[in-house]
Amino acid sequence: MTAWLVILAVGLGTYAFRAVGFVVVGLPAWTQRPLAFVSPAALGALVGGMLLTGHGHAEVPALAEAGAVVAAFVTVRRTGNVGRGILVGFPVLWALTWLTG
Amino acid sequence: MNRVTSGTLHPATDREVAPSTAALARAGARDMTPMVLGIVPFGLALGAMMASSDLDPWAAFASAPLILAGAAQLTTLQMLEAGGNPVVIVASALLVNLRILLYSASLAPWFGGVRLRLRLLLATSVIDQTHFVAVPRFEQGDLDRRGRIAYYTGASVWLVGAWLGSQTAAMVLGAELPDSARLDMAAPLALIGLVAKSVGTRPAAVGAAIGAGVVALGAGLPFHSATLVATLAGITGAVVLDARRRHDVETPS
Repeated sequence: MTAWLVILAVGLGTYAFRAVGFVVVGLPAWTQRPLAFVSPAALGALVGGMLLTGHGHAEVPALAEAGAVVAAFVTVRRTGNVGRGILVGFPVLWALTWLTG
Repeated sequence: MNRVTSGTLHPATDREVAPSTAALARAGARDMTPMVLGIVPFGLALGAMMASSDLDPWAAFASAPLILAGAAQLTTLQMLEAGGNPVVIVASALLVNLRILLYSASLAPWFGGVRLRLRLLLATSVIDQTHFVAVPRFEQGDLDRRGRIAYYTGASVWLVGAWLGSQTAAMVLGAELPDSARLDMAAPLALIGLVAKSVGTRPAAVGAAIGAGVVALGAGLPFHSATLVATLAGITGAVVLDARRRHDVETPS
């Protein structure tokens, strides 16, 4: 029962966050500039959290992971295609894992 | 990412020959596909975890559609299984999801003028991936309101369907992923592609770098708040740098 209530509360609260912008019409003009930087900042934080942390503290990524991420980044900078970045990143990851393994 | 040009014959006029709603929905789904590749391994892992947990399986299963956000769902289920205080669990999970407020605020203006009931429906899929895919597409400025709704809906349905489908499949089949394939790297590889696309200006690049740096330094922050703190730090850094650049342009030395 507790599990149901907790999950329901998290779900309702999360939906409230989602709906706020859609219900409050007409955000003040000063919010425009910060909102333009939500994507890069949040993406940096998400990717950083996946690659640069582990077990609750900062961590240097393995060479294979770093190489795969750099390869994907460069690919997308060149081609503008996110899918292609993944397709290039995985072989690099596997090859470097095999080489350094 | 593939981009549907507006299919216009007369780009200068408002009465353009617009692509069909279905074509725009397909374009949204196509642009979402790399993100889907990124989340499916996570969905499979979550489903497998739920299948082997001691929690009420129906409650665990319901958490996927009810929360519709992977990190918060994982936080909630892990803390429930560990027997945490319910209030602390809810607070922790909502803190993890607080970033969704920012996505909501940045997506919503693109749906201004849409009737409330539809806006409330569109809001159900506000999440990292829908924000990251839709906002840059909308900023190209060639989609009207109807087109934006179609594009966003196509992208959302594909993402949410794949997310719920992968969790269901793993929970029912008890799927185990081969560790050696390193499918856990699909999500960072998809997201780094979005980073590459979003750092076109120096303030944006600095914002992303600050976000990554602060999240690493703040990894031990309580209640999984490092991501939110790092995001806010990145936004602040980018805004400050952007304001300084504007100031320099306006007052040449």
